Amino acid sequence: MLSRFSDVLQTAADVLAPPATRLEDFEYHWKMILNFYQNYDENNKLHVEETRIPHHLHQMLQLIVDEEKEQQGGTVGPCMEAIVQRSICLLDALCALAAAERPPGARALALTTGTALLRRTRQPCVNSAHVYRPLQRMLIQCNENPASPTEKEEVELLLTLCGLVRKEPGLANIFTTPFVEDKSTLLSIPEDIQKLIPIRSKIQTPKKNPLFEVELPPNPLRNVSIIRTGKDDCNATSSSSADDNASCKSQKTVYDDNDKFLLIDLLLSYLNSADNQVVLRACEGIMIVSSLPEDDIANLVTSCSPACETIVHKLAAKYRAIPANVDPSDVDHLNITWAYVAQDFGDKSYSKFHGYRDLTSFFSWLDYCDTLMKECHPIIASHLSRTFRQNFLEGAAESGLTDLHHAVLVTAILAKCLKVIDSPDLINEFSNWLVGEGEVSEWPLLLALVNNCLTDNHDLTLETLRFFETIIEKGTEHSIRRVVLARVAARGYCAAPPAADDDERDRLNDLSIGREREYNREAMKQLQHEDHVNEQITDILAHEGLEPGLRPGDDNIHRVINSFLLLLPRAILSDPVGADYEHYIHDAHRRYQYWLDATSTFNWPADYNGVDTTASSTHSYDSRPEADIHLDEAFEPIKLEQKDPKQFSQRLVLRSRDLTSQSSQNEEEFDEGIFFKMIFKLLANMPSQPYQVNLHLTSIISQLALLPHPNLHEYLLNPMLPTAKKTPTLFKTLQEVARRLTMEIPRLRNYKKIIENTRLWLMSEDPSYDENADHNQLVESLIVLEEFCKELAAIAFVKYQHTLHMQRPQCGLKLFE
Amino acid sequence: MAYAYLFKYIIIGDTGVGKSCLLLQFTDKRFQPVHDLTIGVEFGARMITIDGKQIKLQIWDTAGQEAFRSITRSYYRGAAGALLVYDITRRDTFNHLTTWLEDARQHSNSNMVIMLIGNKSDLESRREVKKEEGEAFAREHGLVFMETSAKTAANVEEAFINTAKEIYEKIQEGVFDINNEANGIKIGPQHSTAGGASGAGGAGAGGAAGGGCC
Repeated sequence: MLSRFSDVLQTAADVLAPPATRLEDFEYHWKMILNFYQNYDENNKLHVEETRIPHHLHQMLQLIVDEEKEQQGGTVGPCMEAIVQRSICLLDALCALAAAERPPGARALALTTGTALLRRTRQPCVNSAHVYRPLQRMLIQCNENPASPTEKEEVELLLTLCGLVRKEPGLANIFTTPFVEDKSTLLSIPEDIQKLIPIRSKIQTPKKNPLFEVELPPNPLRNVSIIRTGKDDCNATSSSSADDNASCKSQKTVYDDNDKFLLIDLLLSYLNSADNQVVLRACEGIMIVSSLPEDDIANLVTSCSPACETIVHKLAAKYRAIPANVDPSDVDHLNITWAYVAQDFGDKSYSKFHGYRDLTSFFSWLDYCDTLMKECHPIIASHLSRTFRQNFLEGAAESGLTDLHHAVLVTAILAKCLKVIDSPDLINEFSNWLVGEGEVSEWPLLLALVNNCLTDNHDLTLETLRFFETIIEKGTEHSIRRVVLARVAARGYCAAPPAADDDERDRLNDLSIGREREYNREAMKQLQHEDHVNEQITDILAHEGLEPGLRPGDDNIHRVINSFLLLLPRAILSDPVGADYEHYIHDAHRRYQYWLDATSTFNWPADYNGVDTTASSTHSYDSRPEADIHLDEAFEPIKLEQKDPKQFSQRLVLRSRDLTSQSSQNEEEFDEGIFFKMIFKLLANMPSQPYQVNLHLTSIISQLALLPHPNLHEYLLNPMLPTAKKTPTLFKTLQEVARRLTMEIPRLRNYKKIIENTRLWLMSEDPSYDENADHNQLVESLIVLEEFCKELAAIAFVKYQHTLHMQRPQCGLKLFE
Repeated sequence: MAYAYLFKYIIIGDTGVGKSCLLLQFTDKRFQPVHDLTIGVEFGARMITIDGKQIKLQIWDTAGQEAFRSITRSYYRGAAGALLVYDITRRDTFNHLTTWLEDARQHSNSNMVIMLIGNKSDLESRREVKKEEGEAFAREHGLVFMETSAKTAANVEEAFINTAKEIYEKIQEGVFDINNEANGIKIGPQHSTAGGASGAGGAGAGGAAGGGCC
């Protein structure tokens, strides 16, 4: 009863005085704000949060959000329309508030209100000049004072605009030259607003703002827009100020020197903030704009803004800030993600060792560059990667590699850089910088690195070897060719076969042992050992379904494996039982698969190239039993055998003797190139080098042996390869080392015990061992070599096994005949 | 404040499913019906206790819109846990889960714990995705599942804490290498003394231990 009565009352009241419309409410709050400022006393020290201003602004915002919910079909409600028409110049007022910072705190409030308007509404009508101009003005005026207390709010507004541009690329036009008004207009407050809000602006004329270092043209071409949007979005809003609609202007594709991209320029200015959160926001904004698919925007970023240069300059600056006395071994353990660093840096305990923060700062920026390059438009990526090479690698880092005082640390940092980057553009530029382009035969930088490996400074050797490890791991087709394949591509290492049919075992084992064999007990053991190894290989092969005698190729792989496993005589082996073959096979399998995937797009031959690599040379097929297969396939549109690099085979290993005839005409002495020269030199020197150096050296070689390139494969993994006497090969070098160890180790007192203990230590991975002075380098190198041989055998086996799996059964049999 | 461990989380899922509201409810224990569109990534943190240990959760709330995916991707790497959120009143947000999951698996470390969350469980009358469907999806992809309401706070604490428990268990099992910050886990200041440089030399296994290309 009572409620019905009150309903009646309400209805009567509504007739007499209907409830205010939303627009009336909106106007009410607007007037309240103006009233406040008309009566504002400059001496009033009240903070803005203690006034009603935030309340009124919030209400106005809420009214716009509410009205938008009821609007149909993309039309604009009366409150928003009032802003677009500038009958209520809310945004200009916000700009005046921000400029005056009256009452204190007004600037932050104006910025957050502007941001909220853009983020809370689905249609903030940024196209309209009455919306974007005040926003521009606000951003530029705030930007006049670097490191202002409102940086966070400023960058937040910028980021929000980036977000809007990301969704409607045409909006980028409002931040390009023709739409950015001249300096004096941007830095002043319109007169009508000065009357409405009569407070003096605190903004003074700019001292030195890079944004205005380029004078804008006096009469901007009003009807030209730089970004073409493809679709006509003029009708996106019901705004009557369509002639100001930025995304509908006619197009312009040629940039003047004076053309600017204000959005990016503003973002760049926040990269120098001391507040990591602000920097992070600016980074996000740059990434959002750079990842737009529009070519025009990408061109703007590269041609009309110093974005790429600024980003790389910052990287170089962070690089230079790394203290010279950082421990190089600390570099490799860092794992930095750019996006998380801003938060971590707030933590004062965020320092693990000397130089940690500087290194982290550098690598997080590198990660940002790398991520940006992966995400951004290809035009920007290629410009950024070129700038990276010029201004960072060549401009900042290169000289350090030859500076003896810094080379170790510089090498460690650069190796880590290459290791962590992931963007194809960046990896390409980085690799090309290292190995050179065009036909320069000895690229100076590569030569410098090779020389660094060969110094007496073991630390430098170690770091440079690590660098080479990464260079190969991150190898591009070009860089692997330059470093590794250039010399082996012509098969110049092949030569007439040595006197045929000598007993394999005699050839492989040291002759002195062969002589002793008949006399002493050790010889009996050696024989038993060899039988044992043979049995093991047979077991492994049988386990994989490769029984000797079943296929002729299986006997050959048996011999290859045998060569590696019997390289060292039993007497000095630390692990004569050799129980961990399975582990090596498993590991080789995993890594080989990685390489097959990584090189799947490389244009590598499936079969070894002879002296003639051209398609016209068919004579090389003549001597092959499988020639018929190739010729048949030559008439088919897709020659799987040749195109698929995975289909390389180990045929050479198996039939090396038939093939030597074709390359024996190459009389010139084989030059293995600076890289292999260095590798073999270090390898031969294993007994006199530190354990860590040998570990990384053998790791590089095993990576190379895994590469699915037929020439490299036979050069490294075929112990029976017929070569000229002077031609160095991996196997010959290993034999040399084995010979030296076989001679020198038995001279040590109690050598068996030393071998046993050293093995135990090395296997225990006890860090205290590194500091322990009681090293025996000679024995350590023996153990590295022993394990390395197992690894090489496993690699040869896994690659052979893979070849068998790749071949069709009927074909496979034929190929290995 | 001292903590034993710090875990980094990300919250992912379509726009409008309530990611920011879940974070606000968890960190501030309040619900804000009007919320600004997230651009880039927002941050929140809170301390919790598991097994008597103080654990600091750092949570990054990502933008759901496709336009900002380039930034979201930067946060996958280096997160220990992820809350993958859909809206039980919007079928399409459930349908997009596979894409989100693929994106996350591709860019994150393989041990990242992913919790599937059906949010807005208070809006039963408008439900479009049955609880069983969420459970089935989680089972199929090896995720933990929960329905939550950022509005009523139902299950919100549990979602964040259970994810942390899962990560904590993985640490106990030795699945996570806690010395590698790329895993999104940090040992608190008082615990860090033990974690010296241990990976000095992969001895013994010869060259095989050196390479490690994958």
